Amino acid sequence: MTTDAFTIAGKMALPYQYFAGATSSRCIVALRDEKKILASRCERSDRTVFPPRQVCDLTFEDLSDNWVEVSDRGTITGFTIIRYAEPYQPMAPPYVLALIRLDGSDATLTHIVHSEDIETVAIGQRVNAVFAETPVNNILAIRHFCCVPTDSDSP
Amino acid sequence: MTDTPREQELIVSKQILSIEQTFSTGPIMGHFLRELRDNQRIMALRCRANGRFLLPPREVDAWSLSDDLEWIEVGPEGTLCEFDVVYYASPDPLTGATRNVPYVIGWVILDGVEGLSPLWHLIHTTDIPALRHGLRVRAVFAETRTGAMEDIVHFEVLNTGETGP
Repeated sequence: MTTDAFTIAGKMALPYQYFAGATSSRCIVALRDEKKILASRCERSDRTVFPPRQVCDLTFEDLSDNWVEVSDRGTITGFTIIRYAEPYQPMAPPYVLALIRLDGSDATLTHIVHSEDIETVAIGQRVNAVFAETPVNNILAIRHFCCVPTDSDSP
Repeated sequence: MTDTPREQELIVSKQILSIEQTFSTGPIMGHFLRELRDNQRIMALRCRANGRFLLPPREVDAWSLSDDLEWIEVGPEGTLCEFDVVYYASPDPLTGATRNVPYVIGWVILDGVEGLSPLWHLIHTTDIPALRHGLRVRAVFAETRTGAMEDIVHFEVLNTGETGP
């Protein structure tokens, strides 16, 4: 009886739609069309956050119209090296995914860090945003971040 | 915030995630699917304890909790005992493609089955309003069979004019 058992290779397809919403849409359009990095500013908590959000998570202030531009430079505050291949990765491994705090922002965003030698990437590394050359409707409108030498204007 | 609505580009991302998977048939479904694929035969399990037919087959009868089961060939003809006409164009979970509508799914009591143990499958017809309970139908097998339920493409309606029991 057990000789009847066999396996069938198959696929499961999951169609879905992601709605970015007003706040994220504004941010992505600015990245894509103007190469500007717009963050949300909360005066009450004195914080500027990128990625932007509609409501401040500390004060619950509505931040919908409080946009401020932040720098395309930032600092790595944490990172990991992706060494395995999996579907739906943004690029072929190995590559660095890092938490980056942009100058002027009090929050971090997760993004790819491009480096000639990924083994030298470290916390505190200064990075610079490189924008995509063709329009992209998501956070990959910033294609990746490049390592740059520590500069005197580092915060 | 202003009260007047603003013109704004709102971003929507449409995607189809495709996930590889492996279905392990086990011995019982394996035998059922192998018979479909290799011999174009529909095999049901009959529980010796209570006479219930299991279709698709299962390892154990859920009522008697007995695994004393015997294989019995049923079909390929049968009687339509219930059907739904589907107008909602849902995505096919195996491909992500949107299904063509309307289509009909039906419960078929295959010849040889005792009791109400139906097989659920697509019913092919060019005349949906003419569908009714008791119509005679027959399984149409795919030319290329892989050992899956799709080895039966659908059930076609037989123009016998007669209705089953």
